[in-house]
Amino acid sequence: MSGTPFTGTTALLRHALRLDRWKLLPWLLVFGAFPMMSYAAYASVFSTPLEARALQLSLGSNPAFSLLFGQPGDLGTAAGFTTWRVQMFGMFFAALMAVFAVTRHTRAAEESGRAELLDSGVVGRHARLASAVVLAWLASAAVTALVELALMAAGSPTGPAFALGSAFGGMGLAFAGVAAVTAQLGSSGRTANTLAATVLGTSYLLRGLGDTLDNAEWLLWTNPMGWAEQIRPASENDFRPLLLLLAVALALTALAAWLESRRDFGMGMIAPRGGPARGRLGTWGLTVRLNGGAFWTWGIVFIALGSVYGLVATTMSTVFRDNPFVRQMITFRLATEEQLLFAFVEVLLLVLAFIGGVFGIQVVLRFHAEEDEGRAEWLLSAPLSRLAYAAPTVVLAAVGPALGMAAGAAALATSARMAGSELDTAQVVAQGLAEVPALWLAAAVALFLVGLAPRARAVAWLLLVYWLLLTMFGPVLEAPEWLMGTSPFHVVPNVTDSAPDWTPVLWTLAIATGLVVAGLAGYRRRDLSGR
Amino acid sequence: MAAVISIAGLEKCFGRSVALDGLDLEVSEGEVHGFLGPNGAGKSTTLRILLGLLRADAGTVRVLDGDPWRDVVTLHRRIAYVPGDVNLWPGLSGGEAIDLLGRLRGGLDEQRRAELLGIFELDPTIRGHAYSKGNRQKVAIVAALSSNAEVLILDEPTSGLDPLMEATFRREIRREKARGRSVLLSSHILAEVESLADRISIIRKGKVVETGSLEQMRSHARTNVAATLDGGAARTTAAPALTALPGVRDLLLEGSRVHFSVDDGGLAAAMNTLAAFGVSALTVTPPSLEDLFLQHYGERGSQA
Ligand SMILES: Nc1ncnc2c1ncn2[C@@H]1O[C@H](COP(=O)(O)OP(=O)(O)OP(=O)(O)O)[C@@H](O)[C@H]1O
Ligand SMILES: [Mg+2]
Repeated sequence: MSGTPFTGTTALLRHALRLDRWKLLPWLLVFGAFPMMSYAAYASVFSTPLEARALQLSLGSNPAFSLLFGQPGDLGTAAGFTTWRVQMFGMFFAALMAVFAVTRHTRAAEESGRAELLDSGVVGRHARLASAVVLAWLASAAVTALVELALMAAGSPTGPAFALGSAFGGMGLAFAGVAAVTAQLGSSGRTANTLAATVLGTSYLLRGLGDTLDNAEWLLWTNPMGWAEQIRPASENDFRPLLLLLAVALALTALAAWLESRRDFGMGMIAPRGGPARGRLGTWGLTVRLNGGAFWTWGIVFIALGSVYGLVATTMSTVFRDNPFVRQMITFRLATEEQLLFAFVEVLLLVLAFIGGVFGIQVVLRFHAEEDEGRAEWLLSAPLSRLAYAAPTVVLAAVGPALGMAAGAAALATSARMAGSELDTAQVVAQGLAEVPALWLAAAVALFLVGLAPRARAVAWLLLVYWLLLTMFGPVLEAPEWLMGTSPFHVVPNVTDSAPDWTPVLWTLAIATGLVVAGLAGYRRRDLSGR
Repeated sequence: MAAVISIAGLEKCFGRSVALDGLDLEVSEGEVHGFLGPNGAGKSTTLRILLGLLRADAGTVRVLDGDPWRDVVTLHRRIAYVPGDVNLWPGLSGGEAIDLLGRLRGGLDEQRRAELLGIFELDPTIRGHAYSKGNRQKVAIVAALSSNAEVLILDEPTSGLDPLMEATFRREIRREKARGRSVLLSSHILAEVESLADRISIIRKGKVVETGSLEQMRSHARTNVAATLDGGAARTTAAPALTALPGVRDLLLEGSRVHFSVDDGGLAAAMNTLAAFGVSALTVTPPSLEDLFLQHYGERGSQA
């Protein structure tokens, strides 16, 4: 074979781009829409810059907020406010997007055997890795550009818009490098993703501590997320940390290439452990096994986020007292402080509910992946009806996220009470469970699609993103009520109302049930796709 | 003998592409039936329909007197399958995968399982993603052979097995046959089919173009003849005389040696002609399966 170690990179890249165009779209939409909507909401949240500055002061001294959102830069401008609201999450998700993309085209592709076929063509030793990293870099650059364009369309000046976009994109660059390395270390796609996500989680935590603890600012210099934060869009617009991110991205990618030339195709550096010689799994046990990792990971996320939100909710009381206009951010016309607090808790629970939606869709799509990768065909050659095969997935997709919501809401209430707030645990858990039918609907849509139109299954993600954006930003942007009514998350009543209206929730349940039944009927009747 | 599988006029389309176009196939009880055909001919599609994984568009399909689409659960208790491309669960060991399939079948033959692991030299403690191609295939073979199924449906079961394991596989299939099991074996390895199959069906473009025992197929296929002729007559007179005979084809002259193939009706005439010119050496080879196969495949381009 002639050529360099990189021969074939562009061909592989083109192939990867074609495979990924639908996978990347929901991510890109969120990255574009979230900052733009935040920006647009600014004007209706604050009436004067003075109010905003007052909020900035109280938020700056609030450790729970600093841990989650970072230090507020300059809330006096719409760009500064947007930065505060979306920077941490945007950076986090840009990094995740890059990690998933790189793993998908390196380790996971090797694992499924897809890579072998392509790599046996005229393809250099590092071409696959290079194409995956370049794909993630392109996606990161697209995120930067989208954020900038979206913010400018909303009226932002170029500097802050580009700075915020670069903070996102920079994280994508750096974590593409991280994932390139973890793909060489782990011996499966899942191990590689877990390793990279651990790096990301640690990074989030370190920078959170750096923002929260006294005299701990040096912690911000220890990790990529801290660097990206220090671009400080809309206040300092300092692009030097971006160079650091770029340097790390290149260094890690070079390290990954070096590791790659030191390992065999399909093997990782960390040797896989053996397994038991005998097994006692049935379809239920198998489904639990396949989703076990996701179950525990999301469980921890629910409880951790719930606990942090409990602290946030508690400190909100002081924010209310100092900044009456914050009320508008959450809701208008609420009288007492308890009601205001509960309304805020409702918003926090909504975030948990969306995580539950992601979890449910994931369980259903895992089921489809089993078919896609040819394992369902083998299992269904045993005396097992299609319905019996699908049943554990349906149950797990319903029970898993519901348990997560209950646990998250309980954690929220508990930590809030420990911090001295007046929240009623039963009410918070009840509110959390009231959101469950909405997240079930998301999983039900996914099941419906897997049963009847598996090629369109990514639509479930798009729908969830749509609901998220609508529910979070619709009210501040004064979206008409009929439009708001299309989000099952918006129509959930407040359980502390004297007479909560459960009709929309019952509708949600009915539609979800209908979709599940139709999806299962379709799955029973359609051809099973083999490999 | 009763038929365990009988297919008549089976049709299956994927969108606009026709995968099966009026396929007929019959597998009798207790026989090993070889299923041959070029890539994309429709072998895997047929097997998937037999397993109720795909739904037939038209035609009748009966397996063990049942409808493979409707009677999935009852039929599958009596059928075991080895897919053409085995993909294991990355986190499950081979042993766990075998037992998962066994449990879904309501148990497997423990003794046979242990014996097969030994015979195939398969380590059951390795996790799915760490197996080599051949070993993944073995996991599915062990799972299928340790079941008590009456019918084995095997889709290229030995792709990726080394020659030693291939021999082991053949031995085991003979044992299964001796126990009275019926086997439908799709394969590209002609020697395997030749040594195992009682009857063979050759499929091309979604239709079975030839079916029968190897002997039957040979009897109406072309025989290869190579002869060394006395003197210099070969070039000038023998060649035109042979070519003129009905049924003689592919004539080739190398000095005094002549090669040609002839169909079963023309063999006697060809022998007479050769004898008239004086033959000093003669080999007559019955068609191998490969020849039969290539004859059918060779027409690939001719009719579209
Ligand atoms: N799920 C599917 N969707 C669309 N086309 C398909 C599908 N499965 C099979 N085909 C087409 O049907 C035809 C028959 O395929 P099949 O897999 O049955 O061939 P085969 O004889 O098993 O080939 P091979 O020897 O390569 O395994 C091929 O043209 C193939 O492209
Ligand atoms: Mg096939």
